[in-house]
Amino acid sequence: MSPPPDHAQRSELFLLDHERTTWHDETLWFVRQKRDRAAYATPEFQELRRLASDLKDHTLSRLAQYLEQFEAAALANGVHVHWAADAAEHNALVLGIVQRAGARRVVKSKSMLTEECHLNPHLLAHGVEVIDSDLGERIIQLRAEPPSHVVLPAIHLKKEDVGETFWQHLGTEKGLTDPQQLTEAARQHLREKFLAAEVAISGVNFAVAETGSVVVCTNEGNADLAIGLARVHIACMGLEKLVPRLADLAVFTRLLTRSATGQPITTYTSHFTRPQPGREMHVVIVDNGRSQQLGRPDFRASLKCIRCGACMNTCPVYRRSGGHSYDFTIPGPIGAILSPNIDMRKHASLPFASTLCGSCTDVCPVRIDIHSQLYKWRQVLGAAGLVPASKQYGMRLLSRVLARPALFRLGGAAARLGLRLVPHALSHAPGYNPWAIARELPAPPRQSFRQWYAHQSPPAHE
Amino acid sequence: MSSRARILAAVRASQPAPHSLPPVPTFRGDISAAKFTAMLEASGGRVVRLPGLGALAATVAGLYPADYRVASDLVPATVPVTCDTPGAELATLDLAVLRGAFGVAENGCVWLPEAAMLHRALPTIAQHLALVVPATGLVATMHQAYARLAGQPGGYGVFLAGPSKTADIEQSLVIGAHGARSLTVLLHD
Repeated sequence: MSPPPDHAQRSELFLLDHERTTWHDETLWFVRQKRDRAAYATPEFQELRRLASDLKDHTLSRLAQYLEQFEAAALANGVHVHWAADAAEHNALVLGIVQRAGARRVVKSKSMLTEECHLNPHLLAHGVEVIDSDLGERIIQLRAEPPSHVVLPAIHLKKEDVGETFWQHLGTEKGLTDPQQLTEAARQHLREKFLAAEVAISGVNFAVAETGSVVVCTNEGNADLAIGLARVHIACMGLEKLVPRLADLAVFTRLLTRSATGQPITTYTSHFTRPQPGREMHVVIVDNGRSQQLGRPDFRASLKCIRCGACMNTCPVYRRSGGHSYDFTIPGPIGAILSPNIDMRKHASLPFASTLCGSCTDVCPVRIDIHSQLYKWRQVLGAAGLVPASKQYGMRLLSRVLARPALFRLGGAAARLGLRLVPHALSHAPGYNPWAIARELPAPPRQSFRQWYAHQSPPAHE
Repeated sequence: MSSRARILAAVRASQPAPHSLPPVPTFRGDISAAKFTAMLEASGGRVVRLPGLGALAATVAGLYPADYRVASDLVPATVPVTCDTPGAELATLDLAVLRGAFGVAENGCVWLPEAAMLHRALPTIAQHLALVVPATGLVATMHQAYARLAGQPGGYGVFLAGPSKTADIEQSLVIGAHGARSLTVLLHD
């Protein structure tokens, strides 16, 4: 069954479970508060945000040069570098590397890019076992669900769900809900997979042009364990992941986890520069729409994103609608400005999944103007005729009324009278007024602002 | 045209006007062992002060059970480990005692270069990890940490802050996800 076509309808599915929605909302707000404590404890936090933004702006302005510099440095390190224009080419390249290595067993650490490219189904279809090794990713892989958050992929699930999944797939005791015991079961299960894997796939948090290194940040150590054991390491990166110099990582590692979970740094901040002698390291550089987004002046800043998830944790809409309601690899505010670049028609409702409150922009560690871009996408979608008719005609009517004072006055008088006279059964008649689904209409004021103003005495100093 | 050429051409055509590379100040801060200790403990690690390297073997023997299978180039090892040791053998290790290059006070992490690991998987596959770090070598922030690396991260290297952990089940913190179940930093003078 395909999901409903727009964000509001998909949110309704999430909102069916009131208790869970409240838990989701409160838990993510708690993560946001941890972020605040970490940010306030770092005196130069705002200066670091400015620097991170400038470093990314600089890198994007010379991206081709830095990509070439990175490639040259990586090649000199004995790393194989591959280029993929789109998801299909990425998947074919990765499969090719796996097959040339004669491998059938792959473990993969967290990578939003390989989610975006749907790598797993491609490998599985060609007889390659691929196991997601991040605990949250493994849980949702066993449940055949996509991640609902970039940092907390299983945040939509409760421990009872995980217990049920592990009972079905890992043979744990039925009804087990203790996170400690569930994690231990996953540790034992995944150790076997780590030891058996011939190829380790990882994402890339940062790629350093100066040294040709890729940096992977985890708390679990799953990337390091997998790569340390496997014969072949494949690192998959979007072409926007570059930073110019090794020292620039100081700025980004200080911001990333403070913004994400409130930790001062991830447990493992791992720098992969050269393969161990006798082993292989590959980097796959992926475009998949990024160069196109780079060419959109209003939206290119979205490529500065370092995938910390802070905009999700703070967003009043995301917290109450869940990551799956976005139906895009990257959910939340940042996903709502990335997704229309990929498929404007399919994701037309996402830039409207926002109150434009600007909280996302306030917490973004690289100072992306997320809420302004949401607003700008709405203009683009409107011009392309991708806004629902009710919204489009409603807006057209409203702009006509707001542009004509007499009409506005008349409308106001009619509304004040109407609000008093219209029976509840009519104003809340099912199907006619979606605004009233979960709201009461306001009590009508006795007079308009203009009437009130006309009765005030003029200020004394005039 | 190859994908490489096409991608680079598309990026060149799309990239915005030059934006200058900002100078990054070297932010300084508290460099004390107390700060380092507080931060590492907040991440689930433990700090033990050593009077000197001479006390290392006795201290390790006091901290861990005698029947532990130990890999180390610093204390007497029960399992010899090189970069060729098979994974199945590594998986039997209870403890690795390795040398950390230096610690970072602002977040309690330790730089662990490949040269100190014996095997790249050893720091994550051993059940427990102990790192021997000079107390005099602490730096304040990640800026000084990367300055110490001087653009040379080695083939592989990790800033390690505490034991392996996860909060992927209902945001409940669990120590010991895939890597070491505990991290002890032995700070020596």
